[in-house]
Amino acid sequence: MCASVKYNIRGPALIPRMKTKHRIYYVTLFSIVLLGLIATGMFQFWPHSIESSSDWNVEKRSVRDVPVVRLPANSPSPERGDLSCRMHTCFDVYRCGFNPKNKIKVYIYSLKKYVDDAGVPVSNTISREYNELLTAISDSDYYTDDISRACLFVPSIDVLNQNTLRTEETAQALAQLSRWDRGTNHLLFNMLPGGPPDYNTALDVPRDRALLAGGGFSTWTYRQGYDVSIPVYSPLSAEVDLPEKGPGPRRYFLLSSQMAVHPEYREDLEALQARHGESVLVLDKCTNLSEGVLWVRKRCREHQVYDYPQVLQEGTFCVVLRGARLGQAVLSDVLRAGCVPVVIADSYILPFSEVLDWKRASVVVPEEKIPDVYGILQSIPQRQIEEMQRQARWFWEAYFQSIKAIAMATLQIINDRIYPYAALSYEEWNDPPTVKWSSVSNPLFLPLIPPQSQGFTAIVLTYDRVESLFRVITEVSKVPSLSKLLVVWNNQNKNPPEDSVWPKIRVPLKVVRTAENKLSNRFFPYDEIETEAVLAIDDDIIMLTSDELQFGYEVWREFPDRLVGYPGRLHLWDHEMNKWKYESEWTNEVSMVLTGAAFYHKYFNYLYTYKMPGDIKNWVDAHMNCEDIAMNFLVANVTGKAVIKVTPRKKFKCPECTAIDGLSLDQTHMVERSECINKFASVFGTMPLKVVEHRADPVLYKDDFPEKLKSFPNIGSL
Amino acid sequence: MQSWRRKSLWLALSASWLLVLLRVFPLLRLAVPARPWAGAPQGWPRWLDAELLQSFSQPGELPEDDPQLPQAPRGGSCDWGACFDVSKCRGGGLKVFVYPVAGPISDTHRRILASIESSRSRSVSPDEACILLLLSLEAPAGECIPVPQQWNGGRNHLVLSLHPAFCTQTFQLGQAMVAKASPMVDTFRPGFDVALPLLPEAHPLRGGAPGRLGQHSPHPGVPLLALAEERGGWRTAVPDSSACPWDGRCEQDRGPEQTHPGATLPNATFCLIPGHRPDALHFLQALQAGCIPVLLSPRWELPFSEVIDWTKAAIVADERLPFQVVAALQEMPPTRVLALRQQTQFLWDAYFSSVEKVIHTTLEIIQDRIFGASAHPSLLWNSPPGALLALPTFSTSPSDFPFYYLQRGSRPVGRFSALIWVGAPGQPPLKLIQAVAGSQHCAQILVLWSSEKPPPPRWPKTAVPLTVLEGQRKVSDRFFPHRAISTDAILSLDAQSSLTTSEVDFAFVVWQSFPERMVGFLTLSHFWDEARGGWGYTAERANEFSVVLTSAALYHRYYHILFTHYLPKALRALADEAPTCVDILMNFLVAAVTKLPPLKVPYGKQHLEARPPLAPEGLESQPPVQDCINRMAVEFGYMPLVSSRLRLDPVLFKDPVSVLRKKYRSLEKP
Repeated sequence: MCASVKYNIRGPALIPRMKTKHRIYYVTLFSIVLLGLIATGMFQFWPHSIESSSDWNVEKRSVRDVPVVRLPANSPSPERGDLSCRMHTCFDVYRCGFNPKNKIKVYIYSLKKYVDDAGVPVSNTISREYNELLTAISDSDYYTDDISRACLFVPSIDVLNQNTLRTEETAQALAQLSRWDRGTNHLLFNMLPGGPPDYNTALDVPRDRALLAGGGFSTWTYRQGYDVSIPVYSPLSAEVDLPEKGPGPRRYFLLSSQMAVHPEYREDLEALQARHGESVLVLDKCTNLSEGVLWVRKRCREHQVYDYPQVLQEGTFCVVLRGARLGQAVLSDVLRAGCVPVVIADSYILPFSEVLDWKRASVVVPEEKIPDVYGILQSIPQRQIEEMQRQARWFWEAYFQSIKAIAMATLQIINDRIYPYAALSYEEWNDPPTVKWSSVSNPLFLPLIPPQSQGFTAIVLTYDRVESLFRVITEVSKVPSLSKLLVVWNNQNKNPPEDSVWPKIRVPLKVVRTAENKLSNRFFPYDEIETEAVLAIDDDIIMLTSDELQFGYEVWREFPDRLVGYPGRLHLWDHEMNKWKYESEWTNEVSMVLTGAAFYHKYFNYLYTYKMPGDIKNWVDAHMNCEDIAMNFLVANVTGKAVIKVTPRKKFKCPECTAIDGLSLDQTHMVERSECINKFASVFGTMPLKVVEHRADPVLYKDDFPEKLKSFPNIGSL
Repeated sequence: MQSWRRKSLWLALSASWLLVLLRVFPLLRLAVPARPWAGAPQGWPRWLDAELLQSFSQPGELPEDDPQLPQAPRGGSCDWGACFDVSKCRGGGLKVFVYPVAGPISDTHRRILASIESSRSRSVSPDEACILLLLSLEAPAGECIPVPQQWNGGRNHLVLSLHPAFCTQTFQLGQAMVAKASPMVDTFRPGFDVALPLLPEAHPLRGGAPGRLGQHSPHPGVPLLALAEERGGWRTAVPDSSACPWDGRCEQDRGPEQTHPGATLPNATFCLIPGHRPDALHFLQALQAGCIPVLLSPRWELPFSEVIDWTKAAIVADERLPFQVVAALQEMPPTRVLALRQQTQFLWDAYFSSVEKVIHTTLEIIQDRIFGASAHPSLLWNSPPGALLALPTFSTSPSDFPFYYLQRGSRPVGRFSALIWVGAPGQPPLKLIQAVAGSQHCAQILVLWSSEKPPPPRWPKTAVPLTVLEGQRKVSDRFFPHRAISTDAILSLDAQSSLTTSEVDFAFVVWQSFPERMVGFLTLSHFWDEARGGWGYTAERANEFSVVLTSAALYHRYYHILFTHYLPKALRALADEAPTCVDILMNFLVAAVTKLPPLKVPYGKQHLEARPPLAPEGLESQPPVQDCINRMAVEFGYMPLVSSRLRLDPVLFKDPVSVLRKKYRSLEKP
């Protein structure tokens, strides 16, 4: 285009000379046209010759133009599937190798058209669904275009439906794939296995060691831990728009919508309908539909016509009965309608059963129990039914609704086997998002009272108040269960005092110097911490008695997953300002403890340093405030539990109190602290703090009992 | 004319150039071998005619799919639907018939029989039985058990063998389920057979060997890996860059590999266990020690794999990639290590620590299959306290149990039911009823009339509904799951109890924070009596306690279900004999479930003076009472009670502030 513009500009200048150089221009014109023709011709023929190297190029091409491969009649065929295959025997894990992302690499063979000696095609080149499936894999993180780096190979030979292909020849086509190697690490997707008359439950194409993602496995053909059971995709998923319908009782308790049901089973179902009347609906094929009506989308009962799949939303339970094949596409429609599937197909391996808990979304009934099905279902409490309905819909949304969802779930299952230490958990697979949001999984869930002998490590954060620090050290060292004392020296400009000046105490004392004066240094997971219990204590907390500290440690042992501290604080909702407010008055409730003196599990140090959400950690360091509130938020959020305040209130030297120089300073402090709560609540996206009305005291606290006989007499004295 | 010709010539010229450039430019692009556009989509082509592709199944093919009768199971293969007859299993409890053994009964056999008897299943005659249990044991001289009479092709039979020596030659197992230790993956029929753990010879029958996990997180000095050795020991290996689980910085090499030939339990964070069958024994050792098992391509089925989610407690890795596995273990985030470690210990304690638990778990799995939709949800199997203690007959919804509120993001119902037990004297506790009904959290009052005297026809008017239930004059009746109880919390009371409304209010607020524990007012403490060589307990006030009296205690109504349906009959009978035992029994039960002590809340002094003594006095004079704690300890197999040294008080309890500021001010009356 540029060139033509250029010529146009230059054109007028040439015009006067045109006449004389008439001939030359004709020659030029001719040569240019010739060049153009040659180039066009080359373009026509080039693509085929460079086919092999241009696989990576996403280019708009036609399926009809793919290269044709002729399979000689005597070309080798793989052996039949090996039923004893397991990942550690038939899968070459070396190809997957160490991978920092813990993701397998999947290669897709380029599309070819296979014909036999006579030129008759072996199968349809590719179906719409298989094309979608390969596109989904190719768009995912699993895909690699480098055949030598791949761990899993997906042939582009479409075997989704066994009816559309010639088994022996397809097997030959598989065998000539460049990395076939007895099918090792090859993954085949099949949804409709078997064929008349005996309908095998797995793909009949001999495939040797290849993994099979199949939609209709029975217990006899499924190689547990090797094959993957997948759903039979229902094309209606894409065709019909079916808005979600909430759980709850529906018009029909039990609904059967399948058209091809064995006469014996249909008799059983109709007997149920006769016995239970309106609450059971058994539908059949429509016989007298007018022209142009899509019969796949209609179901009938006598003369009543129902829309399918919409009618499924009217059922609480929907029958999914085996046909000739175990896997039925109706399962997908039923799940989508939020109807609980009643799976009646003996020995059927439900889709993705390796990871999905079908007990939560379906009822499996043996075929010979069809007459009892109504009674079985009625024994399920309503609350459980609603949970199952919700779960069914969620399974469809996550794993059934598109070919892509099916492909990704299949690859994830294989990925989980190869990188077991990075596998998705049961909850990640099975819990619907709403449950994932509201549930808390306490990292210290095991009810365990750590032995008292372990003791605790006291961590004193100090800047330069040496005198006060030494008093704290002396006081804390009197606590029987103290096992180590760690001083975090947060002053970079001044060296800690000489060794000889430090108080002599009975436990090891270590001084850690920090690189920067940050509040978060108090919560760093130092290697020196050997005990699980950590006592964080400020260098000016000298009023706690050794009885109080020892008692605090014993309380922590009973509640090792909580913050156990002395001064308690509260957060309140300020209705006028419409935000959270910090409260340090004498209240009847507690939701936080100050970490100026608190016991907690050392794991929370790791969480604070490495897993604090958002920018909270930096924010605290920048503002030099609220590290204790941040810790309270963190622990409450991860455990879902409240703090434990120990022993009565004391006059504390605490941030609020040291700053008392007049009311105004105190108020600024309170405003700042309130700001912190609001900031953290917005970062966490919720208010994790829990309010309680109790505190822990020794059993005999303030009881009429001789002080001498109490274990912790010196508590609460000022 | 000339100008027209010239114009057309130029047009032709420029057009041809355009054509050439358009055609050649893509070729130039193709000719450049490197991939020129970073991030450009690569891979599977977008077909021009993708829209025209046909679906894999033609409309009609799916529904038309010819119906066919089910195929009979092929030789030997069995699954639950095909080979088990559920029709005999209706009615409460699992009906089990155990084949008697001719000749001398071995010790193992006796143990198994005892544990089946103590389970919730019932023994019946072979004709009524849902399951016919055949114990397959190593016969002394290599003899095998003869085919029993009611064999019937093995239908509804469970062949149980705790130890691997197995005798299959004499008869075909056919349709019988096989429960054996560490079955090979290739012969195991998932969903039909049951995989048992490979137990050591001297596994305790009851109670169980305690888990060895003393703390949640691994100790910093503990080695990362222990390897199972062939001779049965463990070897701790310290890799060159020994990992410190708590942060990136690591201590230097701890020296060469250390061998502990004598140690039977490993002391490491992870335990590498080879995949061959004999090594299955190591698996249990690792669980007990709280060492996370790393199984290298196991050829045997993991125990109870049908219900236990082993990915939460163990790592099944590929034996061909040992270095990759070790690297992955070193890099595993502490959160995961912590979770796996605790899960090993929970599983050990819930299902493996005694022969009894293994047998009960096996029966529970079969029971779950029979229940179908009303079986244990997976959460109940895989989180504390475990499926043996969370009965699906109570509810299949985890939110109904006291244990899973956090996982489910739910809370207990905010009210309680007061259950007042009126014993022999038959005095209606009018004052108590008023005090309890005054609580804002009280939903209903139930009077359990267990006296010979008939209940009075009229009861005082209360703000909440009052119902009188006819009791059976048994002490254990007070822990029966009466249908009338409509709330999660129960405040259990005696007619003689004396409480104030604020005490009840505060106790209930505390219980809401600890719904799985018992919250009580009066306590006992247990102790080991050296002189008598047994357990004793005392009601004297002390610095610690381990039992709260159920004459005034709050707890979850689920414990009534456990008390009635889980505890062996013998224990309930014991409680009926000596009524004070019932307090201890209930506390035993809750402590065995929670592994935690009960909670104590303040109790006014004024009651102590006004009421008859709650706890027995002169313990020496009542040996049977004192002894019930020992008999229970024997029945449980261990002492479940845990002591606590704290009491939960209101936040401002006896603080030097104005009483007017305090919410529970009446608790402070002298």
